[in-house]
Amino acid sequence: MTAATYTSAAPKAPRRHAFSRFCRAYAKRPAGLAGLGLLIAFGALALAAPLFIGDDQLNVIKVDGPQLSPPVDGYPLGTDQAGRSILLLVIWGARESLSIGLIATALTVVLGSAVGLLAGHYQGWVGKILMHVTDWFIALPSLPLAISLSAVLGQGAASITIAIAVTSWTATARLVRAQTLAVEARPFIERAKVLGAGNTQIMIRHVLPNVMPLILVSSTLTVASAILSEATLTFLGLGDPTSVTWGSMLEAAFLGGAVTAGAWWYLMPPGIAILIVVLGFTLVGRAVEHVLNPRMVVGR
Amino acid sequence: MGTGNSRRGLAALAVCALSLSPVAGAAAFAAPAAASAASAPQETTLRVKMSGSGVDTLNPFLAFFDGAYDIFAGIYPTLNSLDEYGKPGPYLAESWTQSEDKLTWTFTLRDGLKWSDGTPITADDAAWTLNLIMTDAVAGTANGSLVSNFESVSAPDPTTLVVTTKEPQANVTYVSIPRSGIPIVPKHIWESRAKDLKDVKNDTFPIVGHGPWTLTDYKPEQYAKFDANKDFILGKPGFDHMIQQSFKSVDAAVAALRSGQLDYINGVNATQFTALQADKSLLTVQEVGNGWTGLEINHNARTRTGKKIGTGHPALGDPVLRHAIALATDRKTLVDKVINGLGVVGSGYLPPAWPQWSWKPAAGEETPFDLAQANKVLDDAGYTKGADGVRVDPKSGKPLELRLGIHSDDAIDAGISNYLKGWLETVGIKLEIQTLSMSALNSDLAKGDWDLLMDGWTTGPDPTFLLGIQTCAALPKDDGTAGNTDSFFCDKAYDELFTKQLTTFDQDERAKLVGEMQSILYKADVNQMHFYANTLDVARTDTVTGLITGKPDAQGMYPAQSYSFWGYLKATPATAKTAATSAKEEGGGSLVWIGGAVLLLALVGGVIVLKRRSGADDRE
Amino acid sequence: MSSLTTTSPAKVKAQGVKRSDFLPYLGGKLAAALVSFLVTLVIGFVIFSLMPADPVRTLTRGRPTSEAQLVQIRVQLGLDDPIWERFLTFVGNTLKGELGYSWQFQQSVSSLVADRIGPTLLLMGTAAALSIALGLWLGIRSGWRHGSLFDRIASSTSLALWSVPTFWLGMILLVAFSVGVGPIPSLLPAGGMSDPSLPQEGWAHVVDVAKHLVLPCLTMVLVVFAQYVTVMRTSIIDEMGSPYLLTARAKGLTDDAVRRRHAVPNALLPSVTMIFMHLGILVSGAITVESVYSWPGLGYLTYEALRIPDLPLLQGTFIVFSASVIIMNLLADVVYRFLDPRVRAQ
Repeated sequence: MTAATYTSAAPKAPRRHAFSRFCRAYAKRPAGLAGLGLLIAFGALALAAPLFIGDDQLNVIKVDGPQLSPPVDGYPLGTDQAGRSILLLVIWGARESLSIGLIATALTVVLGSAVGLLAGHYQGWVGKILMHVTDWFIALPSLPLAISLSAVLGQGAASITIAIAVTSWTATARLVRAQTLAVEARPFIERAKVLGAGNTQIMIRHVLPNVMPLILVSSTLTVASAILSEATLTFLGLGDPTSVTWGSMLEAAFLGGAVTAGAWWYLMPPGIAILIVVLGFTLVGRAVEHVLNPRMVVGR
Repeated sequence: MGTGNSRRGLAALAVCALSLSPVAGAAAFAAPAAASAASAPQETTLRVKMSGSGVDTLNPFLAFFDGAYDIFAGIYPTLNSLDEYGKPGPYLAESWTQSEDKLTWTFTLRDGLKWSDGTPITADDAAWTLNLIMTDAVAGTANGSLVSNFESVSAPDPTTLVVTTKEPQANVTYVSIPRSGIPIVPKHIWESRAKDLKDVKNDTFPIVGHGPWTLTDYKPEQYAKFDANKDFILGKPGFDHMIQQSFKSVDAAVAALRSGQLDYINGVNATQFTALQADKSLLTVQEVGNGWTGLEINHNARTRTGKKIGTGHPALGDPVLRHAIALATDRKTLVDKVINGLGVVGSGYLPPAWPQWSWKPAAGEETPFDLAQANKVLDDAGYTKGADGVRVDPKSGKPLELRLGIHSDDAIDAGISNYLKGWLETVGIKLEIQTLSMSALNSDLAKGDWDLLMDGWTTGPDPTFLLGIQTCAALPKDDGTAGNTDSFFCDKAYDELFTKQLTTFDQDERAKLVGEMQSILYKADVNQMHFYANTLDVARTDTVTGLITGKPDAQGMYPAQSYSFWGYLKATPATAKTAATSAKEEGGGSLVWIGGAVLLLALVGGVIVLKRRSGADDRE
Repeated sequence: MSSLTTTSPAKVKAQGVKRSDFLPYLGGKLAAALVSFLVTLVIGFVIFSLMPADPVRTLTRGRPTSEAQLVQIRVQLGLDDPIWERFLTFVGNTLKGELGYSWQFQQSVSSLVADRIGPTLLLMGTAAALSIALGLWLGIRSGWRHGSLFDRIASSTSLALWSVPTFWLGMILLVAFSVGVGPIPSLLPAGGMSDPSLPQEGWAHVVDVAKHLVLPCLTMVLVVFAQYVTVMRTSIIDEMGSPYLLTARAKGLTDDAVRRRHAVPNALLPSVTMIFMHLGILVSGAITVESVYSWPGLGYLTYEALRIPDLPLLQGTFIVFSASVIIMNLLADVVYRFLDPRVRAQ
């Protein structure tokens, strides 16, 4: 991400109009549409999963499929060691993998935006301290920090989510601060101040709406990396091996010897699911970025 | 292209060269020492996978990990050896006698043995090693408990070693055995190191010792290299050299075995084993398991003085509930599904690898798998189901919601816990699975802050230690420190039998007492044995034979080899080199891997096409 | 961006940097880095002392241990010292370059780190060099002709590869090239750093290590190079509209020469910062790759330490990783100043 200023509409401009213009511009980007399509498809599958996947297919004492079998009738992607259908597990895994990714991102965005806004608005010692703290966190290596944090917090989804948020908010904070500085330099903020708007009012009513598009862009990209981090941390043994996520499926496959057994049907699907979802979020993020600011075609 | 690019190319090369240089430098530095090791073409090398635990340290006074003791077994002598079936035999000691009062053991040592630097091995070396462990706290770090009942050890002459014990001790001949016992080190080397033992890494190669092998080189997490000791007293090693290579992932080791970089792997998992059985160029062997996997139940944790500690669920103190849990556990299914049927259904506390101690409940006394019966005993005992289907403890009024701690790095634990959760749910007990790191698990265990735990132990041929952790003496002190109990088990009758078997010198008599102890444990339902997983080995047939010692039983299972001393010693190069390269039997699988790659490409292609259409916008 | 100047910075560079400006600048950056490092130490210590741990029982698992032994080991590892005492010892030792005493290996963490840092530097150095070279080259080509087929292939491939979890890509490559698939024989070793049955010195050893390096290095490169492609491509596109390029073209330089002598040097500027910052992070990215391929480096050591968990060792590797990020950031600042005339002018 770069800290370039986005040309955003003046606050009084009709937002609805801006939104429909945004939609039209977005619709012209096939890659963005494809990404959005992938995400909608996965989201729908994840939400609808409880309708067609029940305890009977997931509970190891109830399933009766063949063990670690390649695709056969009724099991289009084969089975795992307990005889559960990989296809259903991958669909079910989307629920937890996506929700960890989304919740971690929400935490990241809230934390990062708050720090960024405050640091940008209060440019005195408060801002300085906040920026120093941000810099310190940037210097902490994220994967080792996440590993240590989730080891301290105890295994499981909750601690992985927190670990991801704690290690990734700095980028958002920096971005938001830069944007806040840019927005606050503009005349309408000056006008608002003259009219007697307080600090909170300026930040919430005037700065935040202008920073929002940027936050959105950065958050789509954060989801992508949060999902990757979840898979990595779970693979390193910090997740909950009894829950079904893409990371835990890969961990089970790896620890269980699927590589030697040549169980491609066990190793491939969760990885490809991660690839598709991460790609989806990345494409959407880049398309949004492109629409908002055509000169900035920046990766993550 | 042009100069700009080649400049960058050069820069990249320079970086590569820079990053390579430490290795090249190190290699050049090591050259003179290692040059002699360059083997003549006809020399043979046995290449095996290092024990999965790895090597913590080469200092035999400090090491705890199996990998280290595998190495020590090859390079340091012990008083006794152990035959294929776990019985003590001669090694440094030729013979041994006990005094009338059973307190004094006199070992007669072989004459004329030499350390690898030519110094004679005498009884003084053994006495010095054992005395150091008995008197020096640091030296006793790893093996102090083995000699804690020793009163004194002395060497009146170079071939006589006299050990006196405080109490009669039946297992003195197990104290110094390869791998699970104390390695004897050369006094003339270690005497000067004894002061700063804590900092001794013992990494001057070749290491002065005596055994079937001499350690000539060792790189942490990489390999250990050995030369054979052709004069070894218990037999000449069949290979000229041995290399133990470290692989953290067994799959990587299997790949190395298949491509011929490795000859033998001790300990693959069930899925890998099943897959490799199809490969005709490999020998797949099952050994009788030397450990158990099971469930520990916190039935009211107590300290030595009887003070309650921890946060265990109070209802677990009720034998009926514990029995219901046992009734609701289908051990057969666990064996079939979690370890592909490659194990034995559990019952007694000691694993079947050591048949002399192994115990089974008499016919009709085994706890069957019977969910209806489990439900019935719980109903009868007054555990009524609440609205949510979870039973409530009539005494404390607490619902039967139990925590089950499992090891985070163990696929088997995760597998079992899924089944347990399902079965117990059907009898009205709710499980909350807590995945914990080994250390967090152990920390909870000691404090009694748990309800149920997945656990596992392996044991050598002497069962004293494993039986000992179930005695009252293993309970913690009131301040929560000390003690090495596993399940806070404490039973008077059991403790009496424990003391008695320690001083019972007749093997059959001792076995009977050990059996009674296991019967007590079985009936208490505190340590519920799920299964004894077979140890699974794979070896190449075209490069090595004779690795697996002992005779298979009716089911084709071999005696426990975990103690690899004999296997490595007796292995010989395969005579007829069958040129058959490992025939891959993946059949259709390969197509699908290729399919996967194609799918990846297709994905990339899709993105390209999409980008192409949007490309127009990019041109500003 | 430096599009305002018509002189390409590559020429300005030749004039050198004024020392008088540079030293205070460097001093300030150094001080900031030092503070940053101290904060890291505190954070590291806090995290690792919070961790619930009873390493003694975990370590002694598998060996018969008496109660007296357990007590002795606790004393030996300093587990019962009060927390402030441990903190003071920790800070003091770290500043002296000692990182504590590993619980599981029973030797000093510094010596363990010293043993393992070589392989990590080798792997990461090679991977970084290759991915920077590949990424920049692809980025320049794609940016210069953006929208072309080459651009589309390069940027979409890198995007797709970026979306793959590193460890998964590692596993797949392991299966494909090391286990061997169908007609493809096992081409490359599956793990470790060298084949111990070969001599450990000379040219043969270098070749052997290189063979073992291929797969882990390839995994790293494939996942990492995308970032360089994107940054470089963007910078080039940014430069393309600049007036100085028009001037250069007007002088009659070939397209190739314009790109090489003018566009690329200017566009490199924003990439350099990112590359340096990324190098620091790369070292910790080693954790997954080294675990998959049993590469005996720092990442693998971290993975090992995590199993127990061996807190002093985890703490030690954490400090080393943080230090590498801090040092690389410092270098990024310095290099940026050397390259960018405007920063120097300030």
